[in-house]
Amino acid sequence: MKNKFVNILVPLISVLLAFVIGCVVMTALGANPFVALQALWTGAFGSMRNVGTTLARSTPLIFTGLCACFAYRCGVFNLGGEGQFIIGAVVCCFIATRSGLEGPLAIVLCLIAGALAGGLWAAIPGVLKIYRGQNEMIISIMLNYVATLFMGVVYTNWLRDGTVPQTAPVPDATKLSRLFGLRVTTAFLLALAAGLLIYYFLFYTSKGFQLRAVGLNMTAAQFNGFAVKRYILMSFIVSGAIAGLGGSADLMGTQYRLINGYASGYGFDGVAMALIGQLHPLATILVAIFFAVLRVGSTTMQAATGVPTSVSDIIQALVIVFTVAGLAMVKLPQFQAAIAKLSARKEAA
Amino acid sequence: MDSAFITNLILASVRMATPLIFLSLAELYSQRAGLVHIGLEGLAAIGSLVGFLVSLITGSPLLGVLAGAAVGILVNMIYAYATINLCAEQIVYGMAINIFAPALAAFIYRVYFGAGSELVQVGLMTTLSALLGITSDNFLLRLLLEQTPMVYLAYGLVIFTAVYFNKTKSGLNYKAVGEYPKAAATLGISVVGVKYAASVICGALAGIGGAYLTTCYSTTYTDGNVAGRGFIALAAVIFGRWSAGGVLLACLFFGFCDALQIRLQVGSYGIPYQFFQMIPYIATVAVLTVIGMKKAGPKGVGKPYLREQR
Amino acid sequence: MKKIFALILTLAMVLSLTACGGGNSGSGGSGDGGATPPAGGSGDSKTYKVAMICDSSISDGGWGMACYNAMVDAAAKYGWDTEVSDSIAQSAYYESIVAFCDLGYDLIYAPGNQYTDAILQAAEEYPNIAFALLNGGADTPAKAANSNVTSLLPDSQQVGWIAGILAGLMTETGKVAFIGGMEIDTTKGKYAGFVESAEYVGQQEGKTVEALDVVYSGDFSASDKGIEFAKAMMDQGADVFFGDASAVDSGARQAIDEANAAAGSVKVYDIAQPGDFLGQNECIIGSQVTDNSGLVGLCMEAVENGTFGGETIFGTMQNGVLSCGKLSDLVPADVQEKYNSYISQVMDGTFMQ
Repeated sequence: MKNKFVNILVPLISVLLAFVIGCVVMTALGANPFVALQALWTGAFGSMRNVGTTLARSTPLIFTGLCACFAYRCGVFNLGGEGQFIIGAVVCCFIATRSGLEGPLAIVLCLIAGALAGGLWAAIPGVLKIYRGQNEMIISIMLNYVATLFMGVVYTNWLRDGTVPQTAPVPDATKLSRLFGLRVTTAFLLALAAGLLIYYFLFYTSKGFQLRAVGLNMTAAQFNGFAVKRYILMSFIVSGAIAGLGGSADLMGTQYRLINGYASGYGFDGVAMALIGQLHPLATILVAIFFAVLRVGSTTMQAATGVPTSVSDIIQALVIVFTVAGLAMVKLPQFQAAIAKLSARKEAA
Repeated sequence: MDSAFITNLILASVRMATPLIFLSLAELYSQRAGLVHIGLEGLAAIGSLVGFLVSLITGSPLLGVLAGAAVGILVNMIYAYATINLCAEQIVYGMAINIFAPALAAFIYRVYFGAGSELVQVGLMTTLSALLGITSDNFLLRLLLEQTPMVYLAYGLVIFTAVYFNKTKSGLNYKAVGEYPKAAATLGISVVGVKYAASVICGALAGIGGAYLTTCYSTTYTDGNVAGRGFIALAAVIFGRWSAGGVLLACLFFGFCDALQIRLQVGSYGIPYQFFQMIPYIATVAVLTVIGMKKAGPKGVGKPYLREQR
Repeated sequence: MKKIFALILTLAMVLSLTACGGGNSGSGGSGDGGATPPAGGSGDSKTYKVAMICDSSISDGGWGMACYNAMVDAAAKYGWDTEVSDSIAQSAYYESIVAFCDLGYDLIYAPGNQYTDAILQAAEEYPNIAFALLNGGADTPAKAANSNVTSLLPDSQQVGWIAGILAGLMTETGKVAFIGGMEIDTTKGKYAGFVESAEYVGQQEGKTVEALDVVYSGDFSASDKGIEFAKAMMDQGADVFFGDASAVDSGARQAIDEANAAAGSVKVYDIAQPGDFLGQNECIIGSQVTDNSGLVGLCMEAVENGTFGGETIFGTMQNGVLSCGKLSDLVPADVQEKYNSYISQVMDGTFMQ
């Protein structure tokens, strides 16, 4: 229980620390940090509409976070969440705007096709890792660039609609329905459901146990006769499918069309969410929501105080920097020993 | 496809490969000590900005490069401390640097120059041919002389690195840290010391690579001017099988792909330009696939080194 | 499950902590406007506020900077307060706009067609706020449910003409080049105008002028791509350049200056836009100037008079939004004369008729 407490305390302190630094910077720039923090709060929670926006913003982050989380659990680094997300959205866009289908049938078809496309795109680094011994990080990063450029071809040429490089919007009947009339849609519920499913799979099924075993110690898992390669490939495909599903859901939920700059940075964000969430799917969801709060809130903060946008980027980066360092620190043997000594003393007293 | 096209293509390839060489060497030094670093993009971004500012203020591009190296080292010490002392996940820390450093660079630029002022331009480092006062249309002379001192430094560093890692005792010790840190420690090598040295070298080279962009290449600074070179450098190291010569070839190949991509686009409109821009990335995946699984990389890369667990 | 519960609790704590920080400020009032000067409280003389959102940096020496300066100039003229959010990601367009709406801004100024969706969405939710979309589609205002969106649309063909005429007159090699940022219709329109006018003027002057195919850098910040594009295009013989790609253009000018320096004299020229950039680089022989501040000013006037909404304001040479910048001494006097006569044809509407 002590460890768990520490695991929660560390992100908390990190966030506070990041904000203290952020406030110092803002004060130095002549902005009132209290006004800034208040604006952050109202931006994210000031009204029901803002809450809806915040949850909508968290949705793609949850998907890419879960994508990274699943792969990491099997011990592989899928840094290609962004590309898989984009490919899912591209395929969804093709079906939604070109198949002639509309309504629930189209939605289901789009979600399935998006997930499949993301899974296939992620299978490339998976296969190359298993059969060609390639470094999955490099391949998946390179494929991010390819996917982004491919999306560019789609919105500037193949599915271009009108005067700007962008596709036509998804038909109204194929848009995901909003919750309580807010900006947040059923895509958010889908993200939560995906998180619960992954949680169940990882911690309550034997396959999930084996997958985690592979992730913890590949050699040992091999000795135990687990099909390590198959798990690695599966983890890639499933993790890509989660991202692809996310791309599809996000396109039908909030984005509606492909446009320049779409999904930029989602993949790496997802990796950060997963790690701060300590590779726990449900914690990852919470972290993603927290980052969405930061982002939506900091937009208002920036508008209200006039500090450069980069200040809120710096605060977010510091949250990651401190949390990851802090979590690593508490796992150090020296630190563990110190904790043990401390608690022993307490018990003695 | 006349000869002018080809000579210009080769000149452009060399030009575009140079920043990659610095960044790839940075990655090589880091990985040889067992530290995989995907944060070069960020280090180069801050190096690029500081190089720009210092060369603008002092009027000396050389000082700009030195300042870029210094700030690269400084920022990389965050990475070093977290990954070496705290044993934090290297991949994540690299990423954190990638988010943090460019934001810092954008912030400094805005605070220093204010909003919407004039376009700030800075003088670039002079080329050797300009220094010597030689102008020639001869291809070889242009290739050899029409370069800034930084280009010669880049190639000099490649040779130095090749010799260092293969021919010197210290270089072999360095490599041992990346391969078998525990064995290296039993031989009396300071594993932590080498890792820190690697981080200093890596930060300096990545900072120089970034500063090259604003002191030798482009007269202006824009946010995002590193444009993925940090990741390409990561690929170049794997591509080049962790050897200095291989890395050089990989960088030239990527430079060539980039130069070719630009020239193909100028030549033939009609094919969506994005397909040309994909060439360097697809080439990376394709070539890595063909090379296959020769595990030439340091075996200890990416793994934390805990002294207690010796 | 305990772990999860604890995590939820943590999150709640973090959030409430931030909330407490906010509460301590004691400034009250959610729409307070923060550090920006508070809206004039005296009643009659309201200080209006305009906010700009931009995906590129406003210090990019190109599009972002020109649009920002346009807003600042117009605001100075009409006595408005300004604020800006720049370098924002695509996913934050809507949020940034809404943030300013919530802070009580009167006019939201978005320079680029890419903001159309976000603007329309916000315009529907904030019927009392005015939205100005520079380079917006001509049909966009009609799509706004509350007719509170105005498109500001400089005539891209005329923009192309202003540069193309000069290019046609000045080219020696008979090859002119254009570097675009994104494949948007305004850029395509500028390219088309540039090509047809350069070819036409060349023909009038008894020479053959052709334009190299347009190239796109794919973004507006990669000055290095501008360098490489310009070099590659000069290799193909181009000697007059025009572009629509912000920082990429400045890269191209750098490469042209270097080539001129190597050749010992200025043989390759560049035409700048959208501000008068004569003197920024040696190779700039003239500029096509778009007075975006005039367009923004028209919006401000409409807001003050309560007449804002639902129109498309075109910017042309005739209404003074488009004009020619100063010509460099590199343009010989007789050519300057010819240029001015072609431009007056554009003004009369007789050019290329």
